Amino acid sequence: MIEDILSIKTLAEEDVKKADDLGTIQSIRIKYLGKKGILTDRIKSLSSIPKAERAEYGCVINETKDYIERIITQREEEFKTSELGTLLKARHIDVTVPGNFVPCGHNHPTSNVLEEIIDVFVSLGFRVEDGPEVELDYYNFEALNIPKDHPARDMQDTFYITDDIVLRTHTSPVQVRVMERDKPPIRVIAPGKVYRCDTDVSHTPMFHQIEGFMVDEHISMGDLKGVLEMFIHAVFGANTKVRFRPSFFPFTEPSAEIDIGCLICKGRGCKVCKNSGWVEILGAGMINPRVFEMVGYNPESYTGFAFGMGIERITMLKYGIDDIRLFFENDKRFLEQF
Amino acid sequence: MRASINWLKEFVDFSLTHREIANTLTMAGLEVEGLEEIEGDTILEVSVTPNRADCLSIKGIAREISSILSLPLKDVAVTPLNEEGEPPSINIKTPQLCRRYASRIIRGVKVGSSPQWISKRLESHGMRLINNIVDITNYVLLETGQPLHAFDLNKLAGGCIIVNTAQSVNKLLTLDGEERALNSDMLLIWDKEKPVAIAGVMGGLTTEVTSSSVDILLESAFFNPISVRRTSKTLNLITESSYRFERGVDIEGIVYALNRAAQLILETAGGKASKLIDKYPKPFTPKQIHLKLSKVNKIIGINISSSEVQDILGRLGFKNKKKDEEEIIVTPPSFRQDIIRDVDIIEEIARLYGYDKIPPTFPVVRLQPVGKNIRRGIIATIRDSMRRSGYSEVINYSFLNPAVFDKLRLPSDDKRRDMIKIRNPLRKEEASLRTTLIPSLIDNVSFNIKRGEKSVRFFEVSRVFSHSGQKLPEESMRLAGAYLNMPLSLWQGKHEGFYDLKGAIESLFLELRIGDYSFTTGDICEQYLHPGKSCTIKIGSHNIGSLGVLHPAVSQAFDITGDITVFELDLERVLSYIPADIIYKQLPKYPYVERDISIVVTEDIKVSDVNSAILSVSSDIIESVVLFDIYTGHPIPKGKKSLAFAIRYRAKNRTLTDSEVDAMHSKILNVLENSFKAELRS
Repeated sequence: MIEDILSIKTLAEEDVKKADDLGTIQSIRIKYLGKKGILTDRIKSLSSIPKAERAEYGCVINETKDYIERIITQREEEFKTSELGTLLKARHIDVTVPGNFVPCGHNHPTSNVLEEIIDVFVSLGFRVEDGPEVELDYYNFEALNIPKDHPARDMQDTFYITDDIVLRTHTSPVQVRVMERDKPPIRVIAPGKVYRCDTDVSHTPMFHQIEGFMVDEHISMGDLKGVLEMFIHAVFGANTKVRFRPSFFPFTEPSAEIDIGCLICKGRGCKVCKNSGWVEILGAGMINPRVFEMVGYNPESYTGFAFGMGIERITMLKYGIDDIRLFFENDKRFLEQF
Repeated sequence: MRASINWLKEFVDFSLTHREIANTLTMAGLEVEGLEEIEGDTILEVSVTPNRADCLSIKGIAREISSILSLPLKDVAVTPLNEEGEPPSINIKTPQLCRRYASRIIRGVKVGSSPQWISKRLESHGMRLINNIVDITNYVLLETGQPLHAFDLNKLAGGCIIVNTAQSVNKLLTLDGEERALNSDMLLIWDKEKPVAIAGVMGGLTTEVTSSSVDILLESAFFNPISVRRTSKTLNLITESSYRFERGVDIEGIVYALNRAAQLILETAGGKASKLIDKYPKPFTPKQIHLKLSKVNKIIGINISSSEVQDILGRLGFKNKKKDEEEIIVTPPSFRQDIIRDVDIIEEIARLYGYDKIPPTFPVVRLQPVGKNIRRGIIATIRDSMRRSGYSEVINYSFLNPAVFDKLRLPSDDKRRDMIKIRNPLRKEEASLRTTLIPSLIDNVSFNIKRGEKSVRFFEVSRVFSHSGQKLPEESMRLAGAYLNMPLSLWQGKHEGFYDLKGAIESLFLELRIGDYSFTTGDICEQYLHPGKSCTIKIGSHNIGSLGVLHPAVSQAFDITGDITVFELDLERVLSYIPADIIYKQLPKYPYVERDISIVVTEDIKVSDVNSAILSVSSDIIESVVLFDIYTGHPIPKGKKSLAFAIRYRAKNRTLTDSEVDAMHSKILNVLENSFKAELRS
């Protein structure tokens, strides 16, 4: 009788070994362990076994049943795993097809640089102000100590709307408007479009400027140097060389122009810096007391500095752009680089 | 201003190399923009700022070098002339326009060409050679900065000079052969009968010195800068002479320059000089400026002593007297008309002290919050939103060609045609200021198509300008965009420009938390848009812009093939609708039930109408209606389309039962059947 069980075990082992898919293995389970399975049949007949032998016989049957169950399950798992493998292999995607997305657009390079510069000054506590682009001659010139019939007007070729109304030639009129409205202390920057009646390889009739100014009781030219050097290092890198040299603007006294070491040739001399190794990027100075008088500040109580810069010029230096006209052609191939 | 190193060295002995002297001048405010080697000499190209009239001469630049380097300035002495005969009669009728007029007659000159040393210098300084007499006046102009003029004495009626305005004379033939139209208030030089020169600008042709001239009259004068400038501007005639007069010549250097020229003429052309006449009704009185040492140090941010200040002032030729430890009384020389107040002197001190020696510092200020520029922040958000939707920013000139409005088919009474005009445009195409951004964007797309681009998504945020009734025009912000797509790859599916841009705008409104917007048809919104593929954009009941495919006729006018979609929004309006605060709404407590409905309607039925009809059935319980399919084609009959919506039901105060939802759903179907003759799609 025990031999009978052992031979069932051997048969089951052979069947399991021969099984070649999940279906077969499942029918093997039914064949041996199902309700009417071979081994189940033996278990049912256990009661007819003499009592003395029943314990040992029962034990063998149980062990065999466990054993068969184990090898079937094991084989079953093997088939399941390989079947999943086949399934996964069959259903694949081509991961190299381009992704599904809206390619983001690009900021205009001028805007990039404008925002970068604004961020630097806002972080120093400067407030951003706007002013009109079509401006009264008074704000654009007179209040900035540039009277009519003064040769300083030749420094800026002006578009006129009427005798008294111009397209602002710089962002400096914002200085006057803000000072007329607010009392010191003031720290303001004013970005925006400006217009000059001038066009060639390095000039466009419209461009962007940022004006900045600060008025308080004890502002010195040293402060102007400190703030502008910090700004230049923030935008162009800490190793950028900076120099301040005297210049002339009617609305500042003393006036300065600020050069940086040419970024293109690193000071060795090239076309951009006209072989001087220096490129001018800022005009600045201490606000002329005449301007304070025009806005009703007492020039003995307050001092202040002001500066202005052309954004396209700085953008050109920063990105190595060699033609200012590219900024307004709006060629997609140009815009998408920024 | 060109300046020869050799010539400069006649006035100041410096040993710096050319590069060093160029750098020294640049760092003191006279920017040297170039160095030009010519045979045996080097020419500095000096950029002289408008305030430094005194540096528009060799002597002036030499003087500057002597101040910077603390070197003595050598004066070229004018030897006393052998005067013979009476000077001409000079009559200044307008002393406010001519503060000084000095003259000598030189008789018996031999007009010919200049000696080589003069002609070489004039040529290397960009002066045209005329004859020895005129050349010498130019030579002295370059050397001293004082413009001179020589008349042929025998062509001057009465041999005299009268300085007076043009009055009723309205034209004059000038040396260059041009007939100049005059204004009555232009200052002229007259002889007894007729005008002979435009004072300080250019001489007249009839009295010019020619090879047949024998006797000449030399003029050295101070003309009012504003008067000369106005005349020069009006005539559009800038000369070496007018350039210097309008910046202001040294009123005290007039006789020196006259004598220097007379001396050179006698040396090179012979002749005898008359006595001097010097009409100088109100002589120059020097200014006295009080300079406080504490202010010098406060403004520059240094700590300079009064003796250092006095040293610098001395080098500059500024007379100065120490009043006390704190104050110096300064008298600037006559050639420094730009020095008016103490800050002007402070700049001079800073300049010679050296800007590079001023220590950089940080201002010490009271901490205060930076007022936020909210408008700017929103505009930044708008630009970001457009960029994220795939649109690149363009920047165009603010100018517009009025002719473009015909291409856009704008009605003749359209307000946008009424542009602000520029009086002196560079080109007639750029004669007015934009009232809309659309034409610029169409141009941008067209430009890129011509370069082979097949897909373009652009936007621009900029101001437009319109008459306001006030002095200054109204400037208001616009946002505009353009879309072009000639699909490259079919697998990406069909991107219709209209829906792409519409999506970008909706996404923008979402970001700005503007909810109450709509895209409506009805009236034709813009003549330049395709009537069947365009709409008005509204917030609430206000029109804030338009969106649509460009009208085929407009595309053709702009020479564009292919569909371009454009939109423009009035950002001022949009900004006014942005809710200031976010107010939290309670999250729903009860679950929703979602049911789809699929109907067949005729093709002219608008999705938005069906949508609002569904919502109107019960605004309480219908939470949202979302279109998820539009289908035409088999088995839907021709002329019809199938629309499928997902409807979400939810009550605020209870969980909805199936039967409630079923009832509502069939009510909706009823409404759709009645309003749109909709059939349930089986």
